[in-house]
Amino acid sequence: MKRVLETGNAAITEGAIAAGCRVFAGYPITPATEIAENMSRRLPQVGGYYLQAEDELAAMHIAVGSSLGGLKAMTATSGPGFILYADPYGWALGSEIPVVVVNAQRVGPVSGITGAPGQGEFYFSRYPTQGGNFETIVLAPASVQEALNLTVEAFYLAERFRMPVTLLADQLVTDGWESLSVPETPDDVAAMGLRVLPRRIHSGPEFYPASDEIDVPPVVLGHNTGAACSDWTPTEQGYDTEEVEAQHKHAYRLIYKVRNHRDLLRRYEAYYLDDNPEVVLVSYGSPARVAKSAVKRARERGLKVGGIRLIGLWPFPEELFTLPAKYLSVELNNDGQLVREVQRAVPKGSAVHFFGKCGELPTVAELQRMIDALLSGEPLPANRWEWEAW
Amino acid sequence: MEKRTEILVSGFGGQGVVRVGQILSTAAVSSGLHTTMLVSHGTETRGGYVRSQVVISDEEIDSPVVENPDFLCALSKAAYNRFKHLVSKGTIIYDPAFIEPDETLDVRQVPFPARDIAVEKLGREIFANVIVVGYLAGLLSGTLTKEAVAAAVRERIPKFQSENAAAFAVGYSLAETLGGAPTVATR
Amino acid sequence: MDPLAEKYLRPRKIPSTACSGCGLGQIHKKIVMAIDELGLGIEDVVWGTGIGCAGRQTFGAWKGDNFAGTHGRVYAISTGLRVALPRDKKIVLTVGDGDAFGIGLLHVLHCARRNLDVTVIVCDNLGYQSTGGQYGWTTPEGYKTDSSPYGMNEPNWVQGGRDVLGILREAGATFLARHTSLEGREAVEDIKKAIQNRGFSLVHMPFPCITNFAGRALGTRKPVEVYRWFKEHTDGNVPGKPGDALFKCGVYFDASNSRVEYSELVRNNVAEVQRRYR
Repeated sequence: MKRVLETGNAAITEGAIAAGCRVFAGYPITPATEIAENMSRRLPQVGGYYLQAEDELAAMHIAVGSSLGGLKAMTATSGPGFILYADPYGWALGSEIPVVVVNAQRVGPVSGITGAPGQGEFYFSRYPTQGGNFETIVLAPASVQEALNLTVEAFYLAERFRMPVTLLADQLVTDGWESLSVPETPDDVAAMGLRVLPRRIHSGPEFYPASDEIDVPPVVLGHNTGAACSDWTPTEQGYDTEEVEAQHKHAYRLIYKVRNHRDLLRRYEAYYLDDNPEVVLVSYGSPARVAKSAVKRARERGLKVGGIRLIGLWPFPEELFTLPAKYLSVELNNDGQLVREVQRAVPKGSAVHFFGKCGELPTVAELQRMIDALLSGEPLPANRWEWEAW
Repeated sequence: MEKRTEILVSGFGGQGVVRVGQILSTAAVSSGLHTTMLVSHGTETRGGYVRSQVVISDEEIDSPVVENPDFLCALSKAAYNRFKHLVSKGTIIYDPAFIEPDETLDVRQVPFPARDIAVEKLGREIFANVIVVGYLAGLLSGTLTKEAVAAAVRERIPKFQSENAAAFAVGYSLAETLGGAPTVATR
Repeated sequence: MDPLAEKYLRPRKIPSTACSGCGLGQIHKKIVMAIDELGLGIEDVVWGTGIGCAGRQTFGAWKGDNFAGTHGRVYAISTGLRVALPRDKKIVLTVGDGDAFGIGLLHVLHCARRNLDVTVIVCDNLGYQSTGGQYGWTTPEGYKTDSSPYGMNEPNWVQGGRDVLGILREAGATFLARHTSLEGREAVEDIKKAIQNRGFSLVHMPFPCITNFAGRALGTRKPVEVYRWFKEHTDGNVPGKPGDALFKCGVYFDASNSRVEYSELVRNNVAEVQRRYR
């Protein structure tokens, strides 16, 4: 194991390689380009392939195609490319093909500012393709080390659940530099508590079990198993069909293989919740680190404030929100996305508030003012998004 | 040492602002400390200033934001004006070749003519950033050792090793002679 | 059942659900004949399909491994698959004209540039027939369809001095041919050449759609009349100036095995990096 100063982009690269990723397909986009560049340098060194695509549609299709051929694969992009993944993302979901997708979120609306952080694809990552009738798995790293660790975990979950897993990062995590432990051998990987599952090959002629089972090996072509997989509604053997009963079975599987294994997907960091705090900050990704500093600062001042940092975003861990409190969702957007899900999850007697910032992180001082106002019952600091405030 | 040290380095593109931050953070890693460095780039690169926000701590770092820098190193007028108000307890180090100090500020401000020193002592402006690194290393001697920062310079800048070693030594010795003393233009 | 079908195809897909008189089955059969005559087995071919009539009718018919890609992206999927699959596996793709020459053309061009080892059989029913019969990029100019009630009035990829195969040649394809489904031996021979080329091969195969195209554009659903129209518009059967035919058949370009194939190239590159930096 070596300890280095690195970016989240490099961490994701090393995590992928440690997880056994041997194909990266990508299309240049700020701020995810560096992942592609790192992959183009590192993959050949371990016998893997960097394939540059003609667009993001092709990039993710190439990654999924490689996985269908038996190689673990990844692609990485930012918002404007992530929307183009909708097509192959659906194909991989429906055909149950493992693949890892990185979205280094930058600030919007739409193409926004290339080099500034944002969190605008919270909901988009839940519904990244058409048709509904599925759940998604989305993980959000908040540090460079976590970017490596969660990349390894994303590959592990992709294999177990036979589906794409999204790593929803933000530009501060991917471009930020931090101390990083990089595993260099399988022993290092194990010592770091990271899990790697080698690719298994589905041998049966049936394409999926009509159940919520996980740990079913994915279809891999080229082994003459008689596999058939497509984006249409399949029979259990994989043949395309227009039968509604088959649709029920397929949808049941895609929804409940995830829902019924939520315990394997619940990842979070909760702090200072034991003494029924009056105010709870909720956040994910890099702003969650500022929120944690703000909570610690408040505790130093004797204030009853706690926090939840979500690591697994989808399926949304609503069961964490049992405490009636004043919740403050801290996000890198101005429209408020996570806050809506928090609103849905909190128990009766709670109030839910929102603090959004775009293009840069909030400061501890700003969050302190919000916390003080929430505790005292004073009006919250002026809504900075009213036109006059500009 | 203090648990958390915050350093903000800012200037215009091409001055090696990112490199300065990288070297300090690299030294922190090799010293077994925790560190974060956020780099603002993209539009800001073209718009006037580049910023490295470096945090060094013996504990895990939560917020990576430099809100109250121990050292603000301003290498351009835009950088100085944008970030001077963040400093309340720390020191502003500015290059007088580019910056007229704001005398109304109630903080310690140290003029450090890195560009002129580079030209005078090493013959080329490009060594200014390593002179800055040497100077900051001197000021941070309670946090990072001289050897750790010097090694980080070699690791991060493989070219011009002897010149950079000399530049580092120049900066470091200036910190020893005037770093702690109140050689301050305004107070 | 046809012995060839018995050898290579799954009984549940025979007969197909194609409309009566559809030419697609003839194309499907010619591909299987070519595979058989090359001595390839079920295990040697991975069969991919697009969407629409061509994709839906041929998907899951091959006894070996099958996949159906998203509309127009099966070429990108095959790029990843080709790199992952053992070198000796053949990838055969049966796709429609909309898939290859409309929504997927960008990816087709890039696969040609890469010289990716796939054999693309474009089963061209002269428009979007599975959605009811809208004009496409090979619909003959002037003909009526459900979305060109006054006649197809924009330039297509095969008339007016344009030929989509010319674009593909410039893009780097190493084997290109065209045959209608009505042709026999010549078509089978050229499909064999396409499969034998370790590089990007595409065979453009127009075929009659009786139900939608012919019903609207030709004003008849009598197979005999539709087949006659096809023959009259095929090279060698066209009165007047040579080159006026809608369907210019034969080998368009053959540079088989003349330049390095994509997956081989990336494998070689990786091996070279490993040799240098080990």
